Amino acid sequence: MGLDTLLDAFLAILNGGSLAYLAVGVILGLTFGVIPGLGGTTALALLIPVTYTLEPLDAMYLAGGVMGATSFGGSISAILLNTPGTAPNAATTFDGYPLARQGKAGLAIGASATASALGGLIGLFTLLLFIPVARDVVLSFGSSEFFLLTILGLAAIAVSVKGKLLRGLIAACVGLLLAFTGANQFTGDTRFTGGIDYLWDGIPLVPALTGLFAISQMIELSLKGGSVADEAREAAMMKISGVGEGILAVLKHWPVLLRGSIIGTIVGAIPGLGGTVAAFLSYSSTAQTAKDRDTFGKGNIKGVIAPESANNAKDGGSLIPTVAFGIPGSAETAIFLGILVLHGIEPGPQILLQNEREIYGLIVALTASAVGASILGLIFARLLVLITRIDVNIVVPVVVTLSLTGVYVLEGRMADVLLTVLMGILGYLMIRFDYPRLTLVIAFVLGEIAERSFHQVRLISDGQVIEYMLGRPVSVILIIATLITFLLPAMRNIRWLRTNAAE
Amino acid sequence: MKTLLKTGLTAVALMTGSAALAEYPADDNITFVIPYSPGGGFDTIVRQFAPALEEAMGTTVVPENIKGAGGTRGGQAVHRSDPNGYTSGIYNIPGLTVNEVTGRDQGFKLDEVTWIANLAVARYGLAVAANSDINSVDDLCSMGNPAKMSDTGASSTASVTTRISFGIMGCEIVDVTGYSGSNDAMIAVISGEVDATIKPISSLKKYLAGDGSGDLKLILTLTEEEAVPGVATVTDIGHPELAKFTLNRVIGGPPGLSDDVVAAIEEGLRKASASGAVTSWADGAGVELSFMGSAETKAMMADLATFYQEYKDLAAAPE
Repeated sequence: MGLDTLLDAFLAILNGGSLAYLAVGVILGLTFGVIPGLGGTTALALLIPVTYTLEPLDAMYLAGGVMGATSFGGSISAILLNTPGTAPNAATTFDGYPLARQGKAGLAIGASATASALGGLIGLFTLLLFIPVARDVVLSFGSSEFFLLTILGLAAIAVSVKGKLLRGLIAACVGLLLAFTGANQFTGDTRFTGGIDYLWDGIPLVPALTGLFAISQMIELSLKGGSVADEAREAAMMKISGVGEGILAVLKHWPVLLRGSIIGTIVGAIPGLGGTVAAFLSYSSTAQTAKDRDTFGKGNIKGVIAPESANNAKDGGSLIPTVAFGIPGSAETAIFLGILVLHGIEPGPQILLQNEREIYGLIVALTASAVGASILGLIFARLLVLITRIDVNIVVPVVVTLSLTGVYVLEGRMADVLLTVLMGILGYLMIRFDYPRLTLVIAFVLGEIAERSFHQVRLISDGQVIEYMLGRPVSVILIIATLITFLLPAMRNIRWLRTNAAE
Repeated sequence: MKTLLKTGLTAVALMTGSAALAEYPADDNITFVIPYSPGGGFDTIVRQFAPALEEAMGTTVVPENIKGAGGTRGGQAVHRSDPNGYTSGIYNIPGLTVNEVTGRDQGFKLDEVTWIANLAVARYGLAVAANSDINSVDDLCSMGNPAKMSDTGASSTASVTTRISFGIMGCEIVDVTGYSGSNDAMIAVISGEVDATIKPISSLKKYLAGDGSGDLKLILTLTEEEAVPGVATVTDIGHPELAKFTLNRVIGGPPGLSDDVVAAIEEGLRKASASGAVTSWADGAGVELSFMGSAETKAMMADLATFYQEYKDLAAAPE
């Protein structure tokens, strides 16, 4: 039953009309991905009124095209300008940008394109395998597991900021402070809003991240002057190509790809966590366990493969709650379900029985888009790399204008633009004084879920939080994973001391 | 010349004031403010009504999403607009009513809004997991410890309904809030995390045996008369007043909207509501259309304000 529909959906793609929607989706997705401030959610949100007049299946092809292409698009700006095109690409900047500065942008883009396409494929393949047990997977993740996952994420941040523990903690606390702004889920009271209506719904994610990553980087670049790849050019190391090497690098480091894809799929399946957390966890677990971990952050190609594979695999994972119960696993799937609602389809637990065509249509569109976007990217990589040679005095105004416009377009609120600028200044100060921005962001993303799910566990367990958690198998696994995350660096230090003592 | 023309036009407009109004809505688009994001329940109903309303009124209807501040930002935008009939909006009722009763400043007063119509109503039901031993409210309230319920936010209409109705029934519960959506709240019942939940019957249906997946069991409907065959109503358990808890999709305009304009929009919405496109969508999506005109809607709003005022203490979110 499922396979027939899947085949039908594949054949339908070959039909001219559907292919056109898909292609439009891919191009929109890439464009929105590349421009900082605009992302998949913005593209989809703007498309909703347009899809109203389309057939549901064509709307799915359009939406799938956008969803599959944005994350690769975002990695291009992350690598070339140290400015993640979409928030989940933030982790890609750690090694992607150093590579670009060494004149190896082609290598990084090639690796990112390949990791994105293969990560996307692995994520969707995992989704197909998981469809029969999707219900059980969703039901085994309750408030307790959500809470523990956020703790695991925060633990991963704590150990990832090598040698900057205090700065990392300060940034994380600021992130939590931002996360707790707005209406309290439990009492309905407002916190830290200072009488400003705008803050009732909390600090919106997209403007905050655009400011922290894009605007701050533009301030940094404009103060520095020159062009991104200046150092490389001076050293005559500039390589225009290297794209082929990038593709090979992914195949060579297939365990990194596989781990990234699995982490992406799992995190994607948890509503609320999203690509930023998936990419970061994938990056930090790769960097922590690699033998050559000292080279991470200085242009290690594995530091590009890990986050990008996770970032694309999360789309497959985010459909697990959707096929099980018709609930969204990510902001993008929430909009996708919104499109179905507009077409008079009420998503629910029987979505896979009643709307098989639409779901499989989306899966096929996502697959085709992830591959198609990467191929397009590889074709144009040579041209894109030239961006790193352009004078920043031209790059900066273009990027700033596009990102601020993008932020405004999403909700049409001037306050969002103001917030973006303020966050940009905060982000620049953090760069200037060497505070990790991603730590702030992860805490900001996780803070609200952590607080909410902790309150829920407290109420559900009648205050016996620990006993309740220990009685749930998935919770126990997460507790063990958190302990390992904390202990790993310590154990490594002990081993290092021993080997040194022996010598 | 221009000034002269302007003066002349103003004079003509003044003299034929009523005639000009009779032409409403000929010369401009009508903007419909939706206080939430595209794709949600409020957005969907407006977009479903829009084409039929365009046909009925002979002008373009533009849905505009102005979300934020718990749905009050859209209401404020309508409130500030010129009362000429070209801006109206959809309101979350009784969500806003409860906010007002519990003393939250929303930037506008509900009794100043010109109420035009009520489009749809959702009635609530109480559901437990299908495999649960609980078969009635009595079972739920005599488990030995307070029953756990699931909801989205503490100020959501479903959560307020849950707290007040169990308060009226004198049954102690713990309302676990914070679920991301009403689907997640229902899944928490299925997974056994909580015992029961109060949600709109149309949402619960997706999880009931028969039309839906069969994961949930309905044990009470908050209706005076039987809404689902074989399921007890609040009349059966001796609390018919609980049928007052509904979720309404209400249309309103800025203060001071003239009676003619109100009548024109009301008539347009009435026609749209009866149109084939809207009724067939409502059937498919499980939406209960319940058209009320301006006078009836205004009375309902006043009635709801009194009702929630009475249960103000229960309506306020727990500390």
